[in-house]
Amino acid sequence: MKTKYFNSILVFIPLVLVQITLVRFISWNAIGPNLILIPLVFFTISNNQLFGTILGFSYGLLLDLFSGGLLGSAMLSFTVSGFIAGYFSNENKRHIYYKPLNFSFIVLLCSIISSIMFSFFTTIDFSRNLFTSIFDEGLLPGFYTSIIALIFIYFYPRRKLIEN
Amino acid sequence: MLKQFSNFWYKFKEYIVLVVLVIVSLFTLSNNNNNSVKNVKTIAFSSFAFFSNIISNITTSALIKNENVQLRKMNAELMIQINLLRQYGIENQELKRLLALKDTTSLPLIPASVVSKSFNTTTNTFTLNSGQNDGVIPGMPVINDLGFIGIVQNVSENFSIIRTLRNVDLHLTVKDERSRVNSILKWDGDNLILTNIPYTSDIKIGDRIVISELSTIVPVTFPIGYIKSIDYSSTDIFNKVILQPFADLTLIENVFIIKMIQSTQINNLELNFYKKGL
Repeated sequence: MKTKYFNSILVFIPLVLVQITLVRFISWNAIGPNLILIPLVFFTISNNQLFGTILGFSYGLLLDLFSGGLLGSAMLSFTVSGFIAGYFSNENKRHIYYKPLNFSFIVLLCSIISSIMFSFFTTIDFSRNLFTSIFDEGLLPGFYTSIIALIFIYFYPRRKLIEN
Repeated sequence: MLKQFSNFWYKFKEYIVLVVLVIVSLFTLSNNNNNSVKNVKTIAFSSFAFFSNIISNITTSALIKNENVQLRKMNAELMIQINLLRQYGIENQELKRLLALKDTTSLPLIPASVVSKSFNTTTNTFTLNSGQNDGVIPGMPVINDLGFIGIVQNVSENFSIIRTLRNVDLHLTVKDERSRVNSILKWDGDNLILTNIPYTSDIKIGDRIVISELSTIVPVTFPIGYIKSIDYSSTDIFNKVILQPFADLTLIENVFIIKMIQSTQINNLELNFYKKGL
């Protein structure tokens, strides 16, 4: 029980460093992947919805603090993402959800919701076109994140997934 | 009673936890301007920035070689420009002396590197590796060789966070360098927009836009960009003018913070929109 909490935090620390410092090198037109969301979905599927919600909240809080952004924005969006990912944590269907395309789709879903929520709370100027905003700040980073998730899960050892 | 509560918790614990955590998040969001929250944020980001600075140093050293070549080329171009400007400077001093105008204060620069960048398209911020120990204080303008980048928002001992031009919270008074038309510059999430420019104003595509002397945030005329397009709306009395910044914010690695000595007399007389914004 304690190991899963430890592992999830252990993964977060190097990943948040990469997210804040290195993602800019692989971003296109200020659109970059949300790497933190991949372990959030991964750990939520292998545990349960309650774990995912609390983990999302913790990841969001730490990301807000470390990035110097608006405190509470990532907390809220990651909490909801963790909760949504929790719907895919069925013990009997985990092997299905861990299949590359399925996992990538779950990440895409969570990422779109997370990005839209995040941008909703950080955008003050509502004069912009809503659909353009959803496309730019929700769909594009979501697709980028899901592609990274697809690569990650494709190369993740099958044996470890079964153990999970 | 206890059993009922236990049953209720067992059935709905996920939803209860979600609601509690969402309320905590919303409460935190609404208290962002609280001083204690600001202090916590400053301590957290400065301690983390130490580690991100190490990674940033490693990655940027790989890019330095290419940057050096560009800088040498730029140096040569600047040298030619300096020669020309030196002549203008002498002429300018002479004219100022004749008109008995006060000269502007020299502006010392604090060099800094970008340690991390936020990828929020609406409230974009950079973390720089210069802080209080280097003399940085909130409100100082940040520039690079191409023009204005942003304003220092938050400072810790060794690091600082800046609001860039791509931040909806940053509004600047700017002017058209050619026609001297003043307007407000803001980021709308997609573009840099010049607002409050009446239909009849003398503005053209390609005009250089600089910070206006009227600005209470940055009272020095740094270049920002040029007019990319003008949208003449038939229903509005103002034009929608889109600005293309000189500095590419996605590629910036090194910047300069201007250690600006603001006139307290002017500050006391005028409204300071920056303080109001904080």
